[in-house]
Amino acid sequence: MSHKVLVADDSGTMRKIIIRSLNAVNVTDITEAGNGDEAWDCFQQDTFDIVLTDWNMPGKTGLELLKCIREVNKDVPVILITTEAEKSRVLQAIQAGVSDYLVKPFEADALRAKLGKLVGVAT
Amino acid sequence: MSQKYTPVNVEYINPFLTSTLSVFRTMLNTEIERGQLYLKGHHKPDHEVSGIIGMSGKAVGTVVLSLSKEVALGAAEAMLGEKHDEINADVVDVVGELTNMIAGSAKAKLEQFAMSISLPNVVLGKNHTVAFPTGVTPFGIPFTTKWGEVCIDVGLCEKMASTEAGAAETPEEVSV
Repeated sequence: MSHKVLVADDSGTMRKIIIRSLNAVNVTDITEAGNGDEAWDCFQQDTFDIVLTDWNMPGKTGLELLKCIREVNKDVPVILITTEAEKSRVLQAIQAGVSDYLVKPFEADALRAKLGKLVGVAT
Repeated sequence: MSQKYTPVNVEYINPFLTSTLSVFRTMLNTEIERGQLYLKGHHKPDHEVSGIIGMSGKAVGTVVLSLSKEVALGAAEAMLGEKHDEINADVVDVVGELTNMIAGSAKAKLEQFAMSISLPNVVLGKNHTVAFPTGVTPFGIPFTTKWGEVCIDVGLCEKMASTEAGAAETPEEVSV
């Protein structure tokens, strides 16, 4: 099964690293967004199987994007990839309906393993 | 009551040291060696490339990742897996993201200050100056990497409930 993934991060570097990891688990149908507003526009205009988003971005933050998504879609996996590691922040994300959480900095293997699990590919 | 500020204790600088070691090890796959922490007598970063992030909450201030061009290019190659010969938008983005990770990781270890971080800015050019909060002398944490020298400048002040001698009325806007 092919997966369609939305990647939202204002850093082109982070988008490249995430896309490299997605490619490693055979995911190539990827839409990139450089800020939260752009990501929300993409989400409204298309159907995605997975959303990977940063927290601190111009426009909508990743948390705001997550809340918008959850108003219209309770099921799509949304993973926050962020430096926001405080318990209070993680709790906010859980309350908003985040599916999983990856704290920056991270080992490439950790991201690949998480993505592989999501798309059903052994890494 | 007006808000007062006082420089944070040196013990709060340690999270920036450990987060820098961790970010270079994890994201750039390289071990770096720390030098001696010191108080900077000026607000000029040591090198020509600066990643700058403002922090605000119960403490406010600025964090600077200062790199030479050689270190910035080496870090970009390690992070992106592609070689760049000059400082360009991709290299600038790498410096911004490294600064974001260092400040963000340190912030998570300073939860008592309930801080938020700004989006990173990157400034290029020799002898530029970074403004820190009034009355704050930044700490410099030098590191040696395989590409050259790096320095993290941290200038933070803590909000005080009441007036204390030497505490500033308000911090200056963080600007570059």
